[in-house]
Amino acid sequence: MGGSMRIKSRSDLEEVRTIGLSKIQPDRPRIAIGLSTCGIAVGGENLFNRLYTLIKEGGYDIALTKVGCIGYCKEEPIVAVTIPKKPLILLHRVFPENAEEVINAVLKGEVPESLALCRILEWDHITGILQYGEGFDTIPLYNDVPFFLHQTKVILRDAGFINPEDIDEYIAVGGYEAAYTTLTERDPDAVIDEVKQSGLRGRGGAGFPAGLKWEITKKAKGTDKYIVCNADEGDPGAYMNRNEMESDPHMLVEGMLIGAYAMGISEGLIYIRAEYPLAIKRLRHAIDQAREYGLLGDNIFGTSFCFDIQLATGAGAFVCGESTALVASIEGKTGRPHPRPPRLTDSGVWGRPTDLNNVETWCNVPVIIAKGSKWYSGIGNSSNTGTKVFSLVGKVENVGMVEVPLGTSLHRIIFDIGSGGAGGKAVKAVQTGGPSGGCIPVRLFDTGVDFENLNRIGSMMGSGGLVVMDEDTNMVDIARYFINFAASESCGKCVPCREGLKHILLILNKIISGKALAQDLILLASLSDTIQKTSLCGLGQTAVNPVQTTLKYFMNEYEAFISQEKR
Amino acid sequence: MEGEILLLVAIREKIDIPHLCYEESLDPYGACRLCMVEVVTCGKTEMTTACTLRVYNGLEVLTDTPEIIRHRKTLFELYLAEAPKSEIIKTMAERYGVTKTPFLKKIVHDDPLGGKCILCGLCVRVCNEIMGASAIQFINRGPYTVVNTPFFEENPVCMGCGTCAKVCPTEAIVIEDISDERIMKSWSNTKIRRIACTECGRYFGPEPVMKYINTRLDPDLIEKLHTICPACRGKTIARQEILAKRGDIGNHV
Repeated sequence: MGGSMRIKSRSDLEEVRTIGLSKIQPDRPRIAIGLSTCGIAVGGENLFNRLYTLIKEGGYDIALTKVGCIGYCKEEPIVAVTIPKKPLILLHRVFPENAEEVINAVLKGEVPESLALCRILEWDHITGILQYGEGFDTIPLYNDVPFFLHQTKVILRDAGFINPEDIDEYIAVGGYEAAYTTLTERDPDAVIDEVKQSGLRGRGGAGFPAGLKWEITKKAKGTDKYIVCNADEGDPGAYMNRNEMESDPHMLVEGMLIGAYAMGISEGLIYIRAEYPLAIKRLRHAIDQAREYGLLGDNIFGTSFCFDIQLATGAGAFVCGESTALVASIEGKTGRPHPRPPRLTDSGVWGRPTDLNNVETWCNVPVIIAKGSKWYSGIGNSSNTGTKVFSLVGKVENVGMVEVPLGTSLHRIIFDIGSGGAGGKAVKAVQTGGPSGGCIPVRLFDTGVDFENLNRIGSMMGSGGLVVMDEDTNMVDIARYFINFAASESCGKCVPCREGLKHILLILNKIISGKALAQDLILLASLSDTIQKTSLCGLGQTAVNPVQTTLKYFMNEYEAFISQEKR
Repeated sequence: MEGEILLLVAIREKIDIPHLCYEESLDPYGACRLCMVEVVTCGKTEMTTACTLRVYNGLEVLTDTPEIIRHRKTLFELYLAEAPKSEIIKTMAERYGVTKTPFLKKIVHDDPLGGKCILCGLCVRVCNEIMGASAIQFINRGPYTVVNTPFFEENPVCMGCGTCAKVCPTEAIVIEDISDERIMKSWSNTKIRRIACTECGRYFGPEPVMKYINTRLDPDLIEKLHTICPACRGKTIARQEILAKRGDIGNHV
């Protein structure tokens, strides 16, 4: 396929699909290394280089490529091996010293069984199903791995299977099919209706109905509107969006393309934090490829619709994930929030109506269009449809990226998928929603994870970080950690957040150093309340959640710091 | 009137809502959080700031519920800790019965704003939005935020107009006029030349401000206004009035 190919018809798309399939399932062995940031961090790149050298020197007929992260971060580096007519085999904890062993086995049409994690006979990419061969019966099946068994991969359907730097492979598994159908056959308003019907709610944390926001933006007065993707994921311990962009960037591009068409908008922006260099690189690459194929730019798919995406990188401020601060940052101003209204849908980037959605929200769009709202709303429960990706981290046995239907219980996520506390320790609590979330004690782990339930018990969905704490974790110290983060990330505009959080931190320090009196706990509670009720933006309003929930559920740990004679 | 800012309505109607960061000529900012009120919709109340709320027909607002007063008290305690030297804050807080703060007071040695700044941003905003000079800005973020000139150096773009000091709600900004110089004590000792009156020889306006005004004046007026101090200008006008009455010359300035 030449560089000048532009996809204008279904047959063009089919042609690319055939090429892509020959890359994913070539007629020779394929070794694919999971090279997202997590894979690279544990030496995946060294493994890649070692394999590359061995294959080149030996002149072997093996395709070597990179894929995204399949989510089982604990078992990285993970290698996916495809031998024609054999099942797809996932190898885990493969290091450069295993490279020769892997090559030798593959050359014999085998895999090193000692490194094998599981085999996959068929993979449902949702937008298409890939069949693999038979064999290797002694290796466990994908569903035999507890970490995978209870997951439902919708957003992460391609992660770990396709090369994120190759648009052909995305198209091979049904990518851009939804965009093609949308642009060539569907009425924009019908697309908005479909998204509304699906019940998709914003995955940035607030859970606002995405279709409704699209409709409001579309109806807003003004021209030259923008759609923006919020990729300023800054919660400590959260990396869902990073993984989504690194493993499957075209999913985001396609989602934005469909959204732009539905709203009739021709300019898209992705606001991404500069701390994600690999995601930025892969997104830029994906956007370039999409332009080359005529999937971005003028006359997309040969229609009259025009749309393009630009990247804006952040400068390292957590508060820039807040919508109004994000817009200020895009405009080159200091990232400080301003009071709403005006909402972004009325006056956003450069004062124009702007639709802002989180990475994961956009990523849901292609499957909703491809499979229909009915199919989508069948996942999860009635008011919380679809799946949610969580980054399961902290003191949990199976660290990684977990995707489950909304409403799945914390127990299932942490004990069934995560296998409980790391090293067999007892799990005490989980922090959801990053620094703005709360600590949920283990006795409430029957709670189904959805927007309302988490709010009800004092926490929040946030973007989806789950930080597990075990018996050794001191909850007052956890509260101090998150308050320290929030205080140093406060923009400093309004007084409750700027001054209040500082004093919360001082009081917590006093408590931990054993100098506090019982009245300090009362002060802590009342100051937290004022910060929550009077702060200007979401950062301040939610920053005290870790304090409030630990006060509520772990008061005994606070009291333990207050000496008997001072009580 | 529909669409009017609630705080302005309250001020006009003499309803007491404390506020520190509001200025009519600037865009609503909503940073001091003192003007929080409760809006009643369908029996439910929601807290919001009066300086950002636009009124509409049938709007129901509660300005001093126990809940609001409790939060205002805590906010005043935070202000007392942040600006322990400000008498204005002390007076405002006293009206809510807050005379001391349980929080650690912020003590900064050689604070150019004398322990009075509450970071309401009015000075920064007028300098930027009204005067167009942008001589001062917020530096750092969060609890480390301060206001000053870039790199804490004398800033040549400062015109010495003093609007910042005029709008400062806690009178934190210090400006000193010494003969031909205006010294912006709070802004890294930025020095601005003052011009002398061609009549009496006294120094009066800061030169950059006079030049700035000239760009917006009728050329005929420039000569008279630019070089003569307000006192002498008054005398000149009076003299011309008298002469005109006597029929010696035509009109006054």
